[in-house]
Formats: sequence, C-alpha cells, structure tokens
Amino acid sequence: MKGWRRLVFAWRFARRELVAGELTVLALALVVAVVAMASVAFFSDRVERSLTLQASQLLAADLVYSADAPADAALRQQAAHRQLAAVDSATFPSMVFAGGQAQLATFKAVSNGYPLRGAVTIRRADGVLVNGVLHPAPGEAWADSRLIGRLKLKLGDTLQVGQRSLTLAGEIVREPDATLDLYNFVPRLMFNLADLPATGLVQEGSRIRWRLMLAGEPDRVEAMRAWLTPRLPRGARLENVEEARPEVKSALERARRFLGMTAMLTVALAAAAVALAVRRYLARHWQSVAVLRSLGLTSGEVWRLFAGLFLLVGLAAGVLGTVAGYAVQQLLLRLAGSLLGEGLPQPGWFAWAMGPTAALVLLAGLALPPLAAIRQVSALAVLRAELPATRQGFIAPLLAVAVLLGLTAWQIGDARLAAVWLGGLAAFLAGVALVAALVVWLARRLPAGGRVGWRHGVASLARRPWLAVIQIVALSVGLMALLTLTVVRADLIGAWQRSIPPDAPNRFVINIQPPQRDGVADQLAQSGLTAPVLSPMVRARLTEINGTAVQPNRYESDQAKRLAEREFNLSWSDALPAGNRLSGGAWWPAKRAKPQFSVEKGLAKTLGIKLGDVLTFDIGGTPYEARVTSLREVAWDSFRVNFFVIAPASWLGDQPASYITSFHLPPDSEETVNALVQRFPNLTVIDVTAIIDEVRAVVDRLARAVEAMFALALAAGLLVLWAALAATRDERLFDAGLMRALGASRQQVRGVVLSELAWLGALAGLLAGLGAMALGTVAATQLFNLPLTLNPWLPLLGMGAGMLVVTLSGWPLVRTVVRTPPSAVLRAG
Amino acid sequence: MAASELGKQVSFNGETLTILRSATLSLFEGESVAIVGTSGSGKSTLLSLLAGLDYPSSGEIALFGQRLSGLSEDQRAVLRRDKVGFVFQNFQLMPQLTALENVLLPLELSGRRDAREAARAMLERVGLGHRLKHYPKHLSGGEQQRVALARAFVIRPKLLFADEPTGNLDPATGRQIIDLLFTLNEEEGTALVLVTHDNELASRCDAIYRLVDGKLSGAGR
Repeated sequence: MKGWRRLVFAWRFARRELVAGELTVLALALVVAVVAMASVAFFSDRVERSLTLQASQLLAADLVYSADAPADAALRQQAAHRQLAAVDSATFPSMVFAGGQAQLATFKAVSNGYPLRGAVTIRRADGVLVNGVLHPAPGEAWADSRLIGRLKLKLGDTLQVGQRSLTLAGEIVREPDATLDLYNFVPRLMFNLADLPATGLVQEGSRIRWRLMLAGEPDRVEAMRAWLTPRLPRGARLENVEEARPEVKSALERARRFLGMTAMLTVALAAAAVALAVRRYLARHWQSVAVLRSLGLTSGEVWRLFAGLFLLVGLAAGVLGTVAGYAVQQLLLRLAGSLLGEGLPQPGWFAWAMGPTAALVLLAGLALPPLAAIRQVSALAVLRAELPATRQGFIAPLLAVAVLLGLTAWQIGDARLAAVWLGGLAAFLAGVALVAALVVWLARRLPAGGRVGWRHGVASLARRPWLAVIQIVALSVGLMALLTLTVVRADLIGAWQRSIPPDAPNRFVINIQPPQRDGVADQLAQSGLTAPVLSPMVRARLTEINGTAVQPNRYESDQAKRLAEREFNLSWSDALPAGNRLSGGAWWPAKRAKPQFSVEKGLAKTLGIKLGDVLTFDIGGTPYEARVTSLREVAWDSFRVNFFVIAPASWLGDQPASYITSFHLPPDSEETVNALVQRFPNLTVIDVTAIIDEVRAVVDRLARAVEAMFALALAAGLLVLWAALAATRDERLFDAGLMRALGASRQQVRGVVLSELAWLGALAGLLAGLGAMALGTVAATQLFNLPLTLNPWLPLLGMGAGMLVVTLSGWPLVRTVVRTPPSAVLRAG
Repeated sequence: MAASELGKQVSFNGETLTILRSATLSLFEGESVAIVGTSGSGKSTLLSLLAGLDYPSSGEIALFGQRLSGLSEDQRAVLRRDKVGFVFQNFQLMPQLTALENVLLPLELSGRRDAREAARAMLERVGLGHRLKHYPKHLSGGEQQRVALARAFVIRPKLLFADEPTGNLDPATGRQIIDLLFTLNEEEGTALVLVTHDNELASRCDAIYRLVDGKLSGAGR
C-alpha cells in the first residue's frame, strides 16, 4: 500500500476499533496515566514556581543583582523596559560611634521602596511593633538589638556614621533578607541610601556590595534573568535564596524530593497500567492479525498498521490527558489555594509537553516489543489458532520507565532520587516476581479434587502461572503505592514536621568564656530550662588542602570563593553531635583520638574536599594539619548549634575558645534571659523565634502541597489495580460461563472468583506491605534524612487492605459473571 | 424433555429479529433426536434454550418433568450439574486446566468424593489415559473433543446436548468422535439432542427435526 492509503486505512481501522470498544481499556489507561503525570507535572511546576516566589520574600526581591559597583544605566534601562520595580542597596562593614564608644557594624543603605518582597518589622520608640514595607527615612537609622546592646543605645540617640549624624529611630526586629549567620557576630545598622554620599564612606577601595533588587511579573523576571545572566560583569552575580538561607534550603530540598518521589511513583504506576492494557488488547487481536494477513497484508504492513494505531491513540490520549490534567490540577489548587497563596504563576512549557511525551514513550516501550511478535507470525499459523507466545523482553519496558523517570528527575532536578528509585523499583519488581512465581509453583502442587470454593480459588490462580505472576506484580505495585501514600506518607510528613519540634531552640547564646560555662549552665537549669550543651569554638582559617594553598580566586562559584575567604568556627567533640549523620568515613573513638577532621558534606562539596584529604587550618598563627576522616550531613533546619568542621577534643581541646549554646525559651520568660545577661554582661543572646516561625510555616505549606499531590498518585494506584483486574476479565468471564453451563451454582461461581481475588489480594498486599516498609526506610534515611519510626503492622495491614481492595474492585466483575446468561459467554468465547 | 411453542426474538438497533418461532419438540429417556439446519437457522439458539442456558421470548420448556420457567437460575444450574452434559463445536475446554482437571471440573462442582478416580476412568474410556496431564493446547482437535466427551459423560448425564460436535474436525476424526459419542450414549442410556448440518450424521438418531428460518418441522425417522 502507498503511504497515504496506509494512513487512511489505519485511521479507518482505528475508528472502527474505537467504536467497537476494543481500544477503550488501553486508551483509558493511557489517558488516566497522562492525566496523573501531567497534573503532577503542572502542579509540581507551579508549586515550585510559587515556592520560588515565596523564597524571593527571603531575598526581599525576585531577582537580586549584586556587584562591587552600582548597577549601570543599561541594566536599569532593561529593568524599566520590562516594567520591573527596582530598589538599590549598599552593604559594607564600618564603625558606628555613639556616646564615645565605637562598634563595628554591617551597614545597609536602602533606597525608597525597600523591601520589594516580604516585610520589615521594627520596634518604635513607643515600644510598638510595626510591620510592613518600611525603610528608614533620610536622617534616620535603625539598629538591631546587638548594636543597641553593645553601644547601650536608646531610641532617639544620635549616631555618628562616617561624617553624617543619624537619629536612631527604630530597633530592627526582622528584615526579610537578613542572613542567619549566627557566627558572624557583626551587628546591623540600616539607613536611607540618600544619606550614603554624605557619610563620605564611599571611597576607592571601600568594600561595598551594591545590590539592585528587582521584582515584577514572573515572566518578565525570568526574561530579565535570561538577559542578565550572560552579561554579568566581573565581580557581579545573581543571588539566590538557597545559599543565603541553609535552613530554608533544607526545607525546599525535602519538599522537592517529596514531590519528586510522588511524581516518580505515578510514573511507575502509569507504566504498569499501560503494560497491562496493551497485553489485554493484543491478546484479543491475534485473530484480527490473522484475518488481515490472509487478506493479503504483509507482516510489515500489519505491524505498521498497529504501530500507527498506537501512535494515533498515544497522541490523542496525550493531548486529552494533558488538558484533563490541567483541569485536575486547577481543582487541586482550588482545594489548597489559600494555602499556596494567590495568583500562582502559569506552568512552563515542559509541563505542557510532559503529557504527550509520556504517552508516546510509554507506548514505545511497552507496546512495540510485544507488537514485534506480529512480524514473526504466518497467516496460517494464526488461523490454526496457534497463537504466538508474546515474549515481552524486560529491556524495552525498563528502558521506557527509565526514560520517564529520567524526564521527571530532570524536572525535579535530582539525579540521585531517580537512581534510588529506579534501583529500588527494579529490586522490588524482581523480588515480587520471584516470590509470586514460587507461590504459584507451590499452589500448582496442591492436590486437586474435593469441593469447589476457596481451595479452587487458589488452584485456579496457579493454573494461569504467568498471568498470576504478572497480576501479583502489578497489584503489589499498586498496593505498595497505596500503602506508601497513606501510611508511610503520614509517617514521613509527620517526621518532617517534627524535625522542627515545638521546643526547637529559639535562643542562641554566644561568647561564653570558659570560666563562665558552669555558671551559665547552672543559671539556665535553675530557670527550669533543660541543661544546655555548650559547644566550644575557635576561629580558624583554612590555608591548605593537600599541601596546596587555598586561593579563593581559583574557585568557580561565588559561594566557594566566599567560604574560602572567611574564617571558620572550628569545634571539637568526642561524640557525633545530635542532629548530625555520618555520610562517609567513620567517627573517631571517644578517648585518645589522633588528629583528624570531620567536615560537613555540603561544605566539602563546595570546596572540593574529599574523604582522606589533608587540611591545614591556621589557628592564631599556628598551623594544624590533619586528614579528613568523616563527612557529616547536618540538619540545618533543626536549629541546633552546628559546625562545618569538627576535630577530636583530645587534639584541640587546649585551644583558647569561647562557647556557644542554644536553648528553647518558652514564651513570656524574657526575664530568664535578662537575668543571664545581667550576670554575664559579655554574653550575646540572639532571638531566632521569627526565623523558626517562618521556616515552620514554609514546611507546613509544603507538606500540604505534597499531600494534595499524593492524592493524585493514589488515583494512579487505583488505576493500576483496575487495569490488573481488567487484564484477566475475559478469561474469567469465559471460565465462569463454562462453569455455569456445566451446572455450577451462582454461589459456587461467586465463591471461586471471590476466593481467587482474595488470595491474589492477600499475597500482593503482603508483598506490598514489605515493599512499602523498605521504600519508607530508604526514603527516610537516604533521601530525607529524617528519623522514621515505621508502622510494624504494615505487612499485615497490606494483606488486609489487599484482600479488601482487590475483592471490592473485582465485585463488578463478579456481578457481571453471575448475571450474564452462560450461553452469551460461551458464544463470545 | 418437552418444549412447546418456543420463540426467541432479539432487538438490535431498534429492529426486532425473530430467530425462532413456535418450535415444539419432545424427547424421552434414552432417545436421540437430531436437529438439522443450515448455519444461521437458529440451531444453536434452540439448543441454548432447551438446555436452559438462555431464556425464550415465548413458550415453555420442561426438563425431567420440571418447567424451566418455574426454576431459578441456580435451580437450573443444579439440574444441569446433576443430569445434563454438553459437547460443543469448539470444544470449550479451559485452556489453563489439564485434561484431567477439565474432566474433574463438573465433579468438583457437585462435590463428588471419588472425583479423581472417576475422571481418570472416564478419560481411559475415551482412550486418553496416557494424556491426563496434558493441556488442551498440546492436544489435537480430536483429542480435545474426546476430553470434552469425557467431561460430558463423567457425571453420567440423563441428557446430552451436542452442538456440531464434529464441526471443527476432519471427516475421519469426526467419524471416530461420533462413534465414541453413540457408544457412550448407548452404554449410559443417555438421551441425546444432536445439532448438526450433516444429514448422514442425523440419520443415526431416532428422530430428525429440520430448522428452516427459525421454523422447526417434522419428526421424520
């Protein structure tokens, strides 16, 4: 046949197949799979964009250009052209003078309009807290509590800033873009940018960081970012929130992984559903293949006909599913709308392309290999009812699933997650297939004879060994998804929310001198607070890695440059600090440990430090050299005292150090802190309540978004269960019809079908329960770094749920079987 | 068995098709009748109705003195289970069951204790004692129909319905199957309703009915 005639024929063929209802199951499975995947893609894309939006509140803008010189006119023009709001700020360290005293502070001069995103909270002279888009008026300055404490200031006092005098008009309680740097004890002074020239502090060589903060429509911000990125001058960069706020980064990272896990679960489920539907479709069409062959089509033409048919169905299902997916996602957002904030940004092109791509990839991987069997079949062989054994290789389906997981991983931006998933999934499938084959083998050896009923159910399961194995695998995947999404999800999200417990430390005390340690601990204990852990710290500079001098300029990323430049707070300890987890190497023995270092994983990655590297730190002029023997993961959002680098106490314990601690101060107990500061005036107490509340709010919002998406994956799980049962519908109908013709009562037929379903459900559920436990454990320890207490009842629960769900979802089938007159079934068979 | 004034209509796309009109026939213990007709004449429909597998639109059937219209679906099933055997044109064996298991099925349905022995003995009688554990796909057409015969006769039915039992077999094999069918029939004293388009085959029965366009006529012998 010629090309166009072939197309016309394929189209007619497809239309007839659709009208006859032959493609319904496959098309439906594809559509639902695409709906699930597309809505997850839309949802995660938009949630992610909305998170970026929320994150920008922590930058006080959508986009921050930061450089060692003010932004030039061309840049401003571009921003204005894109209708972006712009605000300038200049940040630099300098001295403040007041009442004859001097104090080093970080100055921040901001122009009118600051902040573009988020809000500033200040305490006015009358003690009232004001919150909003605020900035100091010209001639006024705001200081944080540290500066006020150090210089013993009152609101209304006059400060000398360079050559300019400013009036202290407010105490900064919270500024949106403040970095939570507890170890950089430099206090903050904020004033209006209009006053900056008069201070005379802007000179050649002064270390000023100029920022241009921009905000506006998401599309325009993205366009600006795209325009700016390749044009960044030397010494300039775009800031992003994640490096500035490690504790928020932790939360975002977990959310992204939760979303990613859900999306991948949906992908796996969708694949299973489509595989089952394809199997059913082809099993019903060998006869058609034979007829077409006997009518004179070559094997290649028949193959192309079916491939073309699948292509049509795939495209149609892809488009339909994407549109429906968008609608589903809109509904989800409406449900969770107020939680995610108003006016979510529209999804990106990738989310739109996800649906049709997924449909085609699924079909290519799952339908084409079994379709290849058509080519090896002669017309005569099929007419003789010698049906080809559809040997479905494992490579193509796995490849398809891998591609889809890869696509999702790319979208989520996490290759490790995809690897863990793919490996875990393959292991689970192999394990389940093995156990299922074993059980079926055992069941085949059950003695026959006796009454029809429960025993007959398990026996008839065993009489279709391959189908039984496929069904058990599909059902366990579906059930595992259900269990993971209900029980394990609750455990995981609970653990996540508990990672910032209600009594998370909200006060940090720094600058504790060694002789004051017992006094501070006693006083806190007397005030009814749990005895805090005091950690020593000493300032150190990293000078060499493996004997090579550390040169900040050698590093590509700005973050690495800054880390290499700054002084570290080294600490020492005999035990692994709470909230830390070893991710490589081994912790040292408690007594008489040799000189060595333990380094935080993120820092090691940024600076290119590997296990076994030799680091040299300069502490007060003396070099200290040792090997890195362990890497640690640190839960930054735990609000405990954490260190990048730790050494054994037996080595550095004699160094002159100051101590740091954190504790939870219940509300309305400020007098405890006041008493502490009165007794030890050199201490600085930092209040991080506002930051904790902020992170907690972020976690709660994220958790709800993730939960909403779980509901969707749940739907995909149910679809797989349905497809697994539909795959054997015809066989069961025929069996039941024949049994009824032979005189089986309705009760007997019902008993056989129900008991078969129940056995199937129980076995699949047991395997699913074990799988969900493994999945939860791997997810908690490898992906989320959360302490997870798993429900030990999962396997039992899985068995019960499997029996119930499979039997219930098989109920319509049972009714059909019992109601249809046996003659109709036999004629169809 | 007695059937009077049986009719069957089905509607399709709003049109009513009459498949069978006022068919009347009867059969006594140990007797055999053939129903002869071309394809599409309504033979299989008549058989389904007589066996209680389908419902007539009009008329009445009685099996073993019981009116089928007065029986529930399950009561009919019990009737079939204990007293009625079937042989189909396309064998209708369960592909996932071995020969032995296929023959066991009706015995298991009625909960017979000596099911295994009975099934094995029956398969030996049809000459398949050596193929008990084979699946239908490993058996030839003739062998599959022998299994079907064994399945039909293993319950010692009073009445056997055979729907074109040789339709899917070559003439030689078909003759063997028919011989076996009539032998078993005689030995067991079973009444037989044989649906066929083969006049020669029909002539081996005690009575012949002809079905033309849904009309049943005559009991020529």
